[in-house]
Amino acid sequence: MSFGPLGVLALCVYVVAMVLVAFRARRARRDRTPADHFLAGRGLGVFVLFLTLYATAYSGNSLLGYPGEAYRRGFSWVMSTGFMMSIVVVFHLLAPKLRPIAIQHAFLTPGDWLRHRFGRERHGRGVLVACAALMTWALANFLLAQLTAMGHVTHAVTGGIAPFWAGVIGLAGLILFYETLGGMRAVAWTDAAQGLMMLVGLAALLVWLLAEAGGLEATSRAVASLRPEAVSVPDFREKANWLSTIALLGLASVVYPQAIQRIYAARSGRDLARAFAAMSFMPLATTTVVFLIGIAAIPRLVGLGGVEADTVMPRILAHWAAEGPGSSALAILVFLGALAAIMSTADSVLLSLSSIVAVDLLDRPRERPETTRLGKRLAVGVMLGAVVLALAPRLTLWRLIELKMELLIQCVPAFLIAIHWSRLRAGPTLLGIGLGTLLAGGAALAGMDRIEGVHVGVIGLALNTLVAVGGSWGAAPPAGQGPSGEGSRRSP
Amino acid sequence: MTRRLLLLGVVLLFAASIPWYREPEAPVAIWLGLPDWVTVALGCYGAAAVLNALAWLATEVRDPDPPGEPGAARRSGDEGPS
Repeated sequence: MSFGPLGVLALCVYVVAMVLVAFRARRARRDRTPADHFLAGRGLGVFVLFLTLYATAYSGNSLLGYPGEAYRRGFSWVMSTGFMMSIVVVFHLLAPKLRPIAIQHAFLTPGDWLRHRFGRERHGRGVLVACAALMTWALANFLLAQLTAMGHVTHAVTGGIAPFWAGVIGLAGLILFYETLGGMRAVAWTDAAQGLMMLVGLAALLVWLLAEAGGLEATSRAVASLRPEAVSVPDFREKANWLSTIALLGLASVVYPQAIQRIYAARSGRDLARAFAAMSFMPLATTTVVFLIGIAAIPRLVGLGGVEADTVMPRILAHWAAEGPGSSALAILVFLGALAAIMSTADSVLLSLSSIVAVDLLDRPRERPETTRLGKRLAVGVMLGAVVLALAPRLTLWRLIELKMELLIQCVPAFLIAIHWSRLRAGPTLLGIGLGTLLAGGAALAGMDRIEGVHVGVIGLALNTLVAVGGSWGAAPPAGQGPSGEGSRRSP
Repeated sequence: MTRRLLLLGVVLLFAASIPWYREPEAPVAIWLGLPDWVTVALGCYGAAAVLNALAWLATEVRDPDPPGEPGAARRSGDEGPS
């Protein structure tokens, strides 16, 4: 049923490898400045940049939440390939314009853009604090989802030798250790190794699953006979939800703080563009594979529902391990790949979160080593809080993702519109963020997550944009501002 | 211009990936091992991935001088020390 002691041994080897990488990253440290700790000295080349973008984007949600959602919803979950790809598409609107400004003004956090763009306006600080607060919420939520996923994987594949709580607490401790020791450099290097493991492991798992089921067609027919609704063409509401999810994920993910900080951390603009070009294919190589794993689980694991469906992947891995020593070894590789994906996202999230709280919310000086130390202490505090919440999971992993995206997406006008339209003013932008957040958050609290298939966060963004653009329309740009809004703002 | 055309193609492929063209009660055939509308969606995403990658390769991301380092602005492709 499980890897048992072999799984525990593999876990120990993985932990030791991560510790060694952390020490190596610490030795590569150039100085103790926040730029070196949080952005790896702005020296990430195309290969490491690509793998760290990949490992950060494909997380515990992708590997546990997405198969669970494919299992629950059926073939309409092919939308996951689309919305993961939309992220790389929407970055066209932000990265080419943000990168030169960020390098010129030595940005450290996403909030530095807001300081630069709105800093001289009366409500500029308000826009910064509002966006930093939304990002902090989203990151804390994301971290919680990763910790929950870590607990599920550890428990299932060790057959209870390492219980859920031990997986959450032990691996959270490991992340804290290597992150405080090596900063972004340790995170990026571990991400690179973790990304490779994830790719190999997933491919092996899909081949086994399809071979077991007699091929893709046999799997589709088995699903059709067991659950015909999982194969049928989606109704209008599901199609609207498909489009809304592409918009929600595509737009919200470009204001993910950890993704923005990788734009700053790239060694060159060309490396950044090449990394994004390679990222275009990763939804096909990862999300589609994970989607098919969830579909293949429908005839194999009958009757899982709600939060329980999030355990589809560990259960499949346990079945695979029972086939014999060869499949057990490959299943361990998938297990480590899944765990690696979860941890690589959690560590990036934690690093971004601590930098945003230290620099944007608490307004500490960005060039001082004390800010780095404060960021490390904040990381410990946030991780402790997230561990406590993760020990009592009540929501599905997919719902956790949606909750954070619906609020994070309210930051979009302050980034995407502000970088292209110089007339956007801080006051209406702040009002738009407030109203959009109230609408999306209020509806979510009232138990309303979608209206006719459209996410309340997307509806909130429409209101938010209307207010921000309508309120700024006709207003002259503040003195000294260039046509793209990147003129002589106060640099961070 | 080429980049914009490529991105327009990506947007159109995204729109075409959603089975607006099919009624929910329509019979489903299996194509290439998957329900037909799923195969169409994945085909659209495959083509979109190619166009999007080409668009990124056609994108110039400038690298100006960092603060305190005046001189000729680095363009994308002129890599600095790692």
